[in-house]
Amino acid sequence: METAAPVGSFPSPYEVGTPPGCEGWEELYPYYALFDEERREADEKRFWFWNSMHFPLPMPAFDAICIDTAYQALGTWQNRVFAVPPAMGIDYRCINGYIYISGNPVTDPAKIGERVQHFQRRAGYYFEHWDELYAAWRTKMETLIAELEALEVPQLHELEPDDVAFADQETSFCAVLDAYRRALRLADVMWQHHFEFLLLGYGAYVTFTELCKTHLPDIPDQHIAQMVAGLDVLLFRPDAELRRLARLALDTEVDGAFVEGRTPEQIESELGGSEPGRKWLAELEAVKHPWFHMATGDGLYHYYGSWLDDPTIPYASLTGHIAALRAGEDIERPSDHIATERERLAGEYGALLDDEARKGFDELLALSRTVFPYVEEHKFLCDYWFLTTWWNKIRDFGALLAQHGFLEDREDVFQLSRLEVYSALDELLLTWATGGQPRGPTYWPPIVASRKELLARLADWTPPPAVGAVPEAILDPALIMLWGVTTQRVHAWAQADEDGSSLSGTPASPGVVEGPARVVRNVSELGDVRDGEILVCSITSPAWAPIFSKIQAAVTDIGGVMSHAAIVCREYALPAVVGTGRATSQIRTGQRIRVDGSAGSVTLLE
Amino acid sequence: MSEARHTRPLSALGRGDSPAFGGKSSMLGALIEAGIPVAPGFAVSTGAFRAFVREAGLGGKIAAELSRVFPGDVDSVVSASHAIGEAMRSAPVPDVVRHELAAAYAALAEQTGTPEPPVAVRSSALGEDGEDATFAGQLESYLWVRGADHVANAVRDCWVSLFGPPAIAYRAHVGQGEQAMGVAVQLMVDAEVSGVLFTCNPVSGDPSMVAVNASWGLGLAVVGGEVTPDDFLVSKVTGEVVRERVHVKEVEYVPDAGGRGAVRVDVPEERRAAACLDRRALEALVEIGRRVERAFGAHQDVEWALARERDLPDGLFVLQSRPVTGLRERQGPASDTAMGLVMSMFGAGERKG
Repeated sequence: METAAPVGSFPSPYEVGTPPGCEGWEELYPYYALFDEERREADEKRFWFWNSMHFPLPMPAFDAICIDTAYQALGTWQNRVFAVPPAMGIDYRCINGYIYISGNPVTDPAKIGERVQHFQRRAGYYFEHWDELYAAWRTKMETLIAELEALEVPQLHELEPDDVAFADQETSFCAVLDAYRRALRLADVMWQHHFEFLLLGYGAYVTFTELCKTHLPDIPDQHIAQMVAGLDVLLFRPDAELRRLARLALDTEVDGAFVEGRTPEQIESELGGSEPGRKWLAELEAVKHPWFHMATGDGLYHYYGSWLDDPTIPYASLTGHIAALRAGEDIERPSDHIATERERLAGEYGALLDDEARKGFDELLALSRTVFPYVEEHKFLCDYWFLTTWWNKIRDFGALLAQHGFLEDREDVFQLSRLEVYSALDELLLTWATGGQPRGPTYWPPIVASRKELLARLADWTPPPAVGAVPEAILDPALIMLWGVTTQRVHAWAQADEDGSSLSGTPASPGVVEGPARVVRNVSELGDVRDGEILVCSITSPAWAPIFSKIQAAVTDIGGVMSHAAIVCREYALPAVVGTGRATSQIRTGQRIRVDGSAGSVTLLE
Repeated sequence: MSEARHTRPLSALGRGDSPAFGGKSSMLGALIEAGIPVAPGFAVSTGAFRAFVREAGLGGKIAAELSRVFPGDVDSVVSASHAIGEAMRSAPVPDVVRHELAAAYAALAEQTGTPEPPVAVRSSALGEDGEDATFAGQLESYLWVRGADHVANAVRDCWVSLFGPPAIAYRAHVGQGEQAMGVAVQLMVDAEVSGVLFTCNPVSGDPSMVAVNASWGLGLAVVGGEVTPDDFLVSKVTGEVVRERVHVKEVEYVPDAGGRGAVRVDVPEERRAAACLDRRALEALVEIGRRVERAFGAHQDVEWALARERDLPDGLFVLQSRPVTGLRERQGPASDTAMGLVMSMFGAGERKG
């Protein structure tokens, strides 16, 4: 394989300083999550990049479960189940609260050879039985979510219920700890499910992309995505339901309640005052489960609730759709057009190839279309529906701790690690049983307060896109497929001039626009986005749908052509450049920028 | 008047006419047949050239001069070329040919409603449909020719170019073969913009792209490499402009104010750095590219011109098309089944042993 000698450099992870006032951040994270002196020799020689795709913000102690459990699951499936020949799993380390990751390669040719046999047998089986395995997977996920939804956090009363005395019901001590263990276990299982199909799904897609690029070297990435993209995927259902509800509001003449600037409560209260309004609200209720389980953000954080937790986004979207309908606009997702265009592109590109190439093209396109529903739908089922529900269950444990003075607020539970929560519950149950004086109420609140302050300070720090050695080549299929981190991209990061006036990334959705930038580093800043701005963020989520009708273009730090920003921008016909590495650190809100979604370039105009 | 033997309207030609009218004329006929816009005109047969040589008794002179050429000896080439050119230029065009040329030119005048329409007079060498790529630049074209006498002289000048030093040297290298050529006479397109398009990306070999080079004025500046043309890469499939590089274009060729010939002038300041094609023009060019490729069943290198003060798509003319040669062979992946390719992606391709 051709590799260019690496040019440029990244800072050593050991030379990255601690921002002022953030000393002691290490105590939030497990001992093994740090760049320690004992592993220095090996770790300095490795390439680590900031996983801003999944962890754009400093990690709260509890949320770190999404690192451990997710990489455990990724490693299990990649390394121990499918035995992907050249790559084991992903290691992570934490710097100033931000997560850096690095792949573990398999270097021994004999071992790679053995793994080839296993991989062909096992992955081959999955591809061959994809549809039935995926159908079973959907059932598994739905069952898991149902179990999670049914999980109740027991309350501690003055006395145990009669049933403990007379019906052999288990005691609160067992019930509370069991519920907590089950909550953790359900997350473990979800992450295992999450990664079961992920690599193979992305792998088929990336193979199709490579084939296209071999025979059609100049084909824009977005055309490849358009040929594959699903037409009727779960992810687009929530917004489709909102459009339907918007039309219903007009048809039943209750649209007057939807006035821009009103809160969801104000709108609902007006609707509740009339019979057609109440009918509309009943229709909304029917839609909520499951379609309001969209998350308000794409990161793996407790901050991101669902539309159920915060209906601001769906109501803003409804108000927007209703206004558009009143103005005579067509708000339908042009699915007929998408379907026709998808077949037209596939037919035309296919016809340009010779017979042999055409065969591979047709087969891989079919395979990509087979796996694609998983690629899009796991997001809704795992990342949105499951996780937003799960964070709420953890909040219930927070409420229990708060009720007994161990925390000031249920939200504070996320400032403790999952093991610390276990420990606090342990002590709560101990002192509740003994009637003794708990230490928790004086022990935990100061820790929570100092960690909150620390996270706020760490949020102002800008992590470098990568640390450690500049690799000669990126060969790990997971890094390429899941993060869009390629040799070329990494070398561009290493050479990037931090004071430069331009950034390059992956062209993800065509078009050229100029406008003022809006840098959004946290979902809570979404409300600041104004009409005509260009969204600059680490990564976006399809749940941000309403702001896509306001913005002119999107630029992200990380992600490939399959990232959700890319998919949504193509959906909304907005130019997008993804995977720029440092857009959020180099661009400031209000700055005029030019986004060229065909060339993959972002120019800072002032 | 008897039926013309030595001229024929371009629109009456097809691919099979190459031996009698040369590659370029038959290629233009094939383009017209495929419904591709080509400036109207007529072809002069190879027979006219033979009649000229025969009637002027030049056969012996030419053979004698060529026999003194030694491959690799530049002086011998130049001196033979000079002697043959002198002899040809002082010999008259046979009356029958001259009359037929005048009649065909008059018909063109009538067709266009212009008394002395300016025409381009181009060599149409023997060879398959326009596949005389190796002759590119060796044979002459005469632009902006007006009046029947001037047309006849330009036709003779084209014949002379068959014995220009590069052409003699080339044939000395590959073997002489038959020396004869046709000529194409076409209504001049007063080009505001002209250039070349490839029905694939000639650099990457991507068949889904149309590559366009364009500059102001007549095509001479682009073909002759006198300007760095604007460079576009456009998707044939969606019409999307994938790459656009606009360059500063210093010079252009325009018709001489005297009405005859073309002159090189400086491009006015305000147009130098401006893109010379807009989206609509590119769309029309892509459409032309697709049609030409379909008509010839292979990737084509197409010269085109956009007429001044004519709207699209009527203002767009194809001047020439030839197959793209020397395309980079695309290296396909080793394994051809979809599953084999996916396995390779994961580093689990087929292994021996």
